[in-house]
Order: sequence, then C-alpha cells, then structure tokens
Amino acid sequence: MRKLFQIFSLRIFIHLFILRPFVKLFFGINIKGRKNISQLDRYIIVANHNSHLDILLLFCFLPVKGILITHPVAAREYFSKSKLSFYLINFLFSPIWIERGKPQERRDPLKDIKDRLDDGHNVIIFPEGTRGNPGEMKHFKSGIGRLAALYRDIPIVPVFLFGPERVLPKGSNIPLPLWNEVIIAPPHFYRGAHTEITHSLEKIINELEQSVKAFRHKRETVIKKSSITIAVLGIDGSGKSTLSRNLAQNLSVDCVSCLVSDALMFYENNQPKDMQPLITEKIREMIGGYAKKAKSLKFYKIPKLTELLLRDHLLDEIKRWYSPDFIILDGAPLLNLTAWTCLYKEQYFNKNTCSKAIRILTAKGDEFQKSDPIFKQFPELSSLKYLKLNHLKLPDVVIFLDVETAMACKRIDKRGEKKQVHETEEKLGKLREAYKLVCNVILEDWNIPTISIDGNKTVEDVVVETENYLKKFLKENADGK
Amino acid sequence: MFGELPKLTIVVVFLILTLLYAIKFILRKEIPFASYINYLWIYFLIFSVAEIFSFKIAVWILAILCFWSLREYFSLIDIRLQDRWGIIGAYLSIPFMIYYIQIDWYGMFIVSIPVYAFLMIPFLIAIGGKESKGIIFSTGAIDFGMFLFVYCLGHIGYLALYSRWMAIMLITNVVICDIITYFIQKKTIPMFKSVILKYFISSPFTVLMTVLLSNWTTIPIGHSISLGLMIPVLIIIGNHTINYIKFDLGINEKNMCPGRGAVIDNMKSIFYSAPVVFHYIRYFLK
Repeated sequence: MRKLFQIFSLRIFIHLFILRPFVKLFFGINIKGRKNISQLDRYIIVANHNSHLDILLLFCFLPVKGILITHPVAAREYFSKSKLSFYLINFLFSPIWIERGKPQERRDPLKDIKDRLDDGHNVIIFPEGTRGNPGEMKHFKSGIGRLAALYRDIPIVPVFLFGPERVLPKGSNIPLPLWNEVIIAPPHFYRGAHTEITHSLEKIINELEQSVKAFRHKRETVIKKSSITIAVLGIDGSGKSTLSRNLAQNLSVDCVSCLVSDALMFYENNQPKDMQPLITEKIREMIGGYAKKAKSLKFYKIPKLTELLLRDHLLDEIKRWYSPDFIILDGAPLLNLTAWTCLYKEQYFNKNTCSKAIRILTAKGDEFQKSDPIFKQFPELSSLKYLKLNHLKLPDVVIFLDVETAMACKRIDKRGEKKQVHETEEKLGKLREAYKLVCNVILEDWNIPTISIDGNKTVEDVVVETENYLKKFLKENADGK
Repeated sequence: MFGELPKLTIVVVFLILTLLYAIKFILRKEIPFASYINYLWIYFLIFSVAEIFSFKIAVWILAILCFWSLREYFSLIDIRLQDRWGIIGAYLSIPFMIYYIQIDWYGMFIVSIPVYAFLMIPFLIAIGGKESKGIIFSTGAIDFGMFLFVYCLGHIGYLALYSRWMAIMLITNVVICDIITYFIQKKTIPMFKSVILKYFISSPFTVLMTVLLSNWTTIPIGHSISLGLMIPVLIIIGNHTINYIKFDLGINEKNMCPGRGAVIDNMKSIFYSAPVVFHYIRYFLK
C-alpha cells in the first residue's frame, strides 16, 4: 500500500507531467543510451557540471521508481539565497546539501552521502565541484573515487551533458530555449584504488565530450591548405589518363583530390565526390571537343591553345573554391604547351629556346628584350605576353611516362575511336623527344622533382612505382617544412 | 453536402496522417518518411483547426513550429555570451508576428521583422556586453535565422488567412517536389543534371496539382499554371541554399535527430517558396 502511495505521489506527478514535458518542449532534450539506466535499481550518477539546469536535465531520464530515491549533491550556499527557490528545490529534488567554505565546522563531507547510500537510495554527483567556465571541464575531485571504492557493488553511470552551458551559463539569469544532449554511458563496476577510479571516470566523460563536440558550429574560418600539384606527362596512348585517375583515387584517403583531365573530377576517400560545377570547366570541355575533331594541325592549334590556357585558369579556380589537397593534372598546361611547339616549329626547338619559353610563359622572363630572337621564332609568345596571358603555373612534381611509340600507337588503335590529327607514329616520336627535353629543363632550371617512369609495364606496376615515388616526395616535403 | 467537401477533405487528410502517426506509435515500427510526416501532420493540424474551430487558434500552432525551427538553428550556431539578449529578441519576434497575422494587419506584418526586429537585434546584442569583437557575425547569424525561420514561415499563416486551400496547394506541391528530390538524390548524378531532372520531373505534377485544385483555391487557370511552373524552381533554389547552410552548421545526414537538423531539414523547401508564392498571389489576385 505504501509502495502504491509512493508511486502516485505529488512529486512524481510533477516530474512526469510538468517538468519533463516542459524540458522537452521548451528547451528540447535528446537522450542517448537510456537503456543503460532503465534496468538499474541502484546507481551513482556521475556528470559534468556546467549550469544550474544540470539537475533538471538529469531528472529527465531517471526511471520512474528512482525519482523519489535519487538525491543530487548540491552546495547549500548557492540555493539558500531565496527562500522560495530553496523550498522548491528541496521539495522537487531533495538534494544532499553540502556546506562549503567553513573549514572549522567541517565534518566528513561524504558522511551524508554514505548515509543515503546505506539506506538504499541513489545519488547524483558532480565531481568537478563547481560550475566551471562554459564548455570547459575541470579535473575531478577525489570524493567520487573514495565513494566508488567503498561501494563496489553499486554501478557507476557516467553521464555527459551537452548544451546546458549555453542554455544557462554562469553569469546569466535567463535560460534560453536551446537544445540539450544527454549521453549516458554503460554502467561501470570498479576495483582498485580511488585515484584510479577518479581518473578512469574523468577519461570516460572526456571521451563522451569529444564524441559530441565535433558537431558544434565554429565561427573561425578554416585556414586553407596549399594544394600539391602533380603533373603527369606523356604522349597519347602512354596510359597517363589511367595513371592519373588511379593516382587521384588512391591519394584521396582522408582528403580531397582533384583530377583535371578531359573532365573535372573530385575524389574523397577513394570515392568520386559531387561538387558544384564551374563555368570555366564547361567552356573548356566544349573547346576541348572542337580540338579533338580538328582535321589538320593548323585547325588544332587555336582550340588546343585556348583549352590549355583555360585549363591553367581552372587550376586557379579549383584552388580558390575547393582547395583540395592534391591536384592531379593529366598533362600540365605549361609543359604541354612548350612540348607541343616542337610539332609546329621543329627547326627552332632546342633546349635553349625551351628554357627561355618557360621563363616567359611563367612571367619570369622580363629580362628578354623585344628584339630577342625567340619572339621572332615564336610570335605566339609575344602575343601571349602582350595579352598578359603569360602567368601559367609550374607543377610541384612532374611524372613522365616514357613509352615506345609503337606501343603507344597499338594502344590508340585498341581504343577504336577516331584518331586525332597528331596520333601518328612519326609525330608521337617527335613529341616524346620534346617531352623528355622539357622534363630535363624543368629539373635543371627550376629544380622541380621529376621522374621518368617506364610506361611499357602493366598499369598496376606503374601505379605502384609512382606512388612509392610520391610518398618519398611527400615525406621530404613535410620534413622540409 | 457538396459545399462542405473542401472542409471534409482537409479533415480526412488530417485523420489519415493521424492514423499513420498512431500506427507508428503503437507498432513502434520505423515507417519511411516518419519525421517528414510529423511536420506534414502539423501543417494539416493547423489547417483543420482553422477550418473547424478558428483561424486565431490555428495560427498559434504555427508559432510553435516557428519556435522549434528557430530554436534548432540557434542550438547549432556558434553564440557568444553577449548575444543572449539578441536571441531573446529573436524569440520574442514570433508572438508579435503571429499577432499581426491573427488580426490581419498586413502592413505591420510585412514591416515588423525586416524593419523593427532587424534594427532591434543589433542594439540588443550591443547592450548585451562590452566585448565588441564578433558583433557583426552575431548580428548576421541571428538576424538571418529570424528572417528565414520566423518571417518566411509566417507567410504560410498569412496565405492560410487568405484561403486555406492556397496554403494547402503550396504544401502539397512542396510534398511532391520533396518526394521526387528524395528519389533523385538516391542516385549519384552530377549536380547540374540532377537539378534539371528534378525540375522537369516535378513540374508536370505541380502544374497538374495547381490546376486540379484551382476550383477550391479560386486561382484562375493561367495563374495556376504559372504557379505550378514557378514553385519547383523556388524549391530547388531553397533546397540548395539550405543544404549549404546545413553543411556549415555541421548537420550530418546520417545521424539527424530533432535538435541536430531534423526540423530544418524537413521544412527546407518551404522557406523560399512560401514568401514568393504569397507575394505572387497578393500582387496578381488581391
């Protein structure tokens, strides 16, 4: 009979039908891991302390039978200022009051708690002592460890409260309606010394904190990482598209990599990622299509040049909008442009002009006068310079896939597509020599790490070899910084 | 009997949704679109209360909806201790706006939040504390939240004041677009293509819906068609914008729950479409 009376007491009614709906509708509360506590009869709840609201939130998930026999530990001095609130809190939560700041009158502070636990009641303890600064956890005091060491058969339930530090922080009187999150960890039984218990509890609550903290919006802008540009060079049919696609996919572990090929692709965690399209990219695709359809080298030149310049501009835009960790270029615009001149003006193409042209195209060649022979040999350079289009970018690493021309032709035949103008054995041979020369110049003049890889092997071997080299480079790069 | 048909339809839809809700509660089973149906249920609760009892009570249910979405937004953004008065001001703007809808004071409704509340909140933030660093960001974040989650949602209430069926027309179109978006987003299509796909799949349905309902909404056929063509565009724009806001707030699609993006996510299609549809109807038809 007495038990029945207890269940229908006024306190339980207020908790179930007034306080809990109020918290749910006005503040909002998400309770995770409710099943960890709903089956327990005896428990000691350990929670972090951020605000006065904590007790109210903790009473929201207690099992109904536990409402009357659970007592939070609170300091009397805070709540005894107003008589009404003291009476209300005493009635609703029946706390165990602790006197603070009177050392001469001090008895054993745990005595009251021990009495209640001996009676078969449960307690809620905030081991931090006082409310700290909002969102900061203080070190736990040893009291909880001492209690747990005494009552080894009572399970300890660590609870992390996330949100009350914003609803009602220290120093403000008006609670704001904002969501709260309560995370209940599985109950623990402890053996061992009391310092160990305190430490391990602190560790558990810290872990719970880390698991939810990542969600909250932070106002500071993220500092953009600089991206590493990897250029894959090679004649058509050397397998550079396959290689660069594989590289982009494999490098994108825990980061974003971008592949600038015929199409623009992003990868994250080895999966393609959908990004917002860029207008430059659409234009480039269209012009690239024109270049592919060209009937002779003469008609190939202008669309290809435009495509390369746009591709270079695209690099800027990618860095600006997406800032991926790696940009893999299927043919670097600058190096391709330089090597391709060999097809048009073979008689002037040598190491000297090559190095000069790269200097001019990267806007470093201001020392060359207008009367310099290179501008006569390559009038395109002067027009590019005049149009201020000579700000092309050098890659950070260059990978050159060296393939026999006969092999490359075979591969192109295998594709079964319509051949492009330059895809004959003679022209590809010339291009191959030109690429080799450009790679040499890059290595000697600019000191950019360059590797020449034998592309006659299978794709897997080539990818593994390249990745090993890149790993070495990245390690050196990180050490250098 | 026939004259009562529109009223009956609203109540029947409401009862069906309630039944779904009850099934979910009794069987404790996860039904698809469960959280979406919750918010749909609230809209139809508003409409049926407005039809059966009075509009004055119904519009205060909308106030609760505004409050919930705004509360979720404020729970997710980064706020300083000094912004608390500004946030209280934003919350207090809800009852004022709802009161202006209730008494049908259009001029004050349209001006209250974009003028008075917008100017009031920076002032409240400024007197909230001495720390001046970050006040611009706080003002922007709080004002924006109030505008989107209170003012834009409030337009549904004013639309329902004109005619319940205009508001229901908007809601049904939103539901159509959301379902189609849900099925398209399941596949991995490039964004550009999926936007075009969304529009061209959903617009025939929305046009059909507006034309079918034109008898009850009292919108002429021509305007009905143009509204049906317009609403998917607005919903796509709204979805895109809110998706970016969600991304910044750290809302994860996988573990979404109330308080962590569920409210905003379920109502994201309404924020852009409600004000524009309202002003279209007001300009051409009132």
